[in-house]
Amino acid sequence: MTALEVLYYVLGGLGLFTFLAVTVMVLTYVERKFLARIQQRLGPMRVGPYGTLQPIADTIKLIMKEDILPSWADRPVYWLAPLVIFLPALAIWVTLPLGEDLVLRNLDLGLLYIVAISVLSVLGLVMAGWGSANKYAMLGGLRAAGQLISYEIPFIMAVLGVAMLSQSLDLTRIVNDQSSIANVIIQPAGLFIFFMAGLAELGRTPFDIHHAESEVVGGPFVEYSGAHWAIIQMAEYVNMFAIAALVVLLFLGGWRWPSMPFEGTGHQALSLVWFLAKTYGVVLVIFWIRGTYPRLRIDQLMAFGWKVLVPASFLNIVLTGIVLFYGWHWSVLTVMSSLTLVAIGYVIYRRPGTDVRQDTVRVVSARDAGLKPASRAAKPLSGGPLSGRTG
Amino acid sequence: MIGSLRGLAVTLATMMRRPVTAQYPDPKRRLPIDERFMGFPALLWDYSNDEPYCTGCMVCVRECPTQCMTADMSDNARFESGESTRKKIIEKFEINLGRCILCGICVDVCNFDAIEMSHEHEMGKFERNANRAGLNPLLDMGKTWQSQTGWSPAKTKNIGDPDKRARQQADEKAAKAGAVPVEVVSTEVLKSARAKSPDAQPEAGTPDPGTPNAGTGEAAGS
Repeated sequence: MTALEVLYYVLGGLGLFTFLAVTVMVLTYVERKFLARIQQRLGPMRVGPYGTLQPIADTIKLIMKEDILPSWADRPVYWLAPLVIFLPALAIWVTLPLGEDLVLRNLDLGLLYIVAISVLSVLGLVMAGWGSANKYAMLGGLRAAGQLISYEIPFIMAVLGVAMLSQSLDLTRIVNDQSSIANVIIQPAGLFIFFMAGLAELGRTPFDIHHAESEVVGGPFVEYSGAHWAIIQMAEYVNMFAIAALVVLLFLGGWRWPSMPFEGTGHQALSLVWFLAKTYGVVLVIFWIRGTYPRLRIDQLMAFGWKVLVPASFLNIVLTGIVLFYGWHWSVLTVMSSLTLVAIGYVIYRRPGTDVRQDTVRVVSARDAGLKPASRAAKPLSGGPLSGRTG
Repeated sequence: MIGSLRGLAVTLATMMRRPVTAQYPDPKRRLPIDERFMGFPALLWDYSNDEPYCTGCMVCVRECPTQCMTADMSDNARFESGESTRKKIIEKFEINLGRCILCGICVDVCNFDAIEMSHEHEMGKFERNANRAGLNPLLDMGKTWQSQTGWSPAKTKNIGDPDKRARQQADEKAAKAGAVPVEVVSTEVLKSARAKSPDAQPEAGTPDPGTPNAGTGEAAGS
């Protein structure tokens, strides 16, 4: 590696980091505004015109804040966790093309790299949960790890479907393959599976089970404050932007589709703008979903992952394989995939094979259940329902 | 599945609506204040006679549960010259609005219609005792409130202008005299009573400078 190359990577990495930091600030502002409008509020309005300087104020506040270390915390694990969460989020972007030839280092196995690296963030969540020495953090970290199993398989399988279409794991090549027809038209079911699994990977509503403010009060991040919390938060948003970018690159044709008059001067800049516009559109959909749906229980996510997404993603691959093997026209796959999507919708709608009554808790009196009533004498008669409870 | 899509449609439709937030100190969009809103107490101004209604009788000061008021009374010079029906007039008045609990007892006990709960409620201050309001601020609050609500005194005896009060009292007396049982009062009876009253006015209502007439004595006696 020559000195020039080293300089290129250092400057490129710094540029990428700056771009992502600014993006995160924009995203926090956009999210707050968007959610506020969904709830008929105004959102941040005080700092700067229409609150546009709010993210800067937030950043300054977070950096100035005291970093608190719980006295029982496992110090090295506690301090390392934010980095372990953040670095994979950043590392993904090395090979994500932002536009025509706008990529730090294009890898032939880019998709494999992304899929492999992005899972590492979960390790950071578990570390944060363990290191905080806090029951909520611990539960949140374990939930993150438990969630992982149910979304990772459909995530990889959906990516595989796209890779089969392009016969490549190179993201730039996948995008260039979509110049005439985007993958979303060929594989609508693939997009749905990927998007759902991506949401679960991000831990965004309706799969924000490991954050779950109302259950585990913020999950692995309960004890963090100040700059470390800021880093974790930044990683979340960088990851979200990465998933949105992946949706655009893999299914919505990146900067290629629908083809724009990009030829000539300013080609690169225009492709970047087109790509970012699409990515922000996907991000808005993620916010929209957050403003609409309540949180799933972890068993519901498991059921959705294992009973719906995994079979559907395998079906997606099999159908893609059949169409590719016999060399049929892509529209056949469109029809098949649309039918898969309809089937997914039907499965979610009807939940066949589930007796709904088994899901709900039934209150049965002790006498009906044939149980001996508990002795009343042991309990103090005075005192409210909360008396005698500790902890 | 259909329900989920419908949910998305609902949030999207809500997003298209106008936000309901009123940004509080912004004067452009304020939530409306109800007519019955009870803000801080304020002293009222008798526009008919250009002086406060308050005579400094100390009833409110004594009844105030938080003891947030003080009042000083003085002789009313305009009473001596016959310009006013108030023998005494308020000289100093102070309410510590930081202590006031907006209970409205002062309004209930006031015999002179002199104090009312105004619409004023934005009294945030940076110092602990900066909320002590003197006579003039309280009267200003009262004037603002009067212009907002079109208030008029409930009792005839509290009208400050001697002429006006005498006229009104004569009206009422005539109406009472002409009226037989309350149930049978018809508009015609009232009208005839009104028609008689101008005759009665010169006797009861002529202000005689220097000598207070019966009407003023009644009000100042308390």
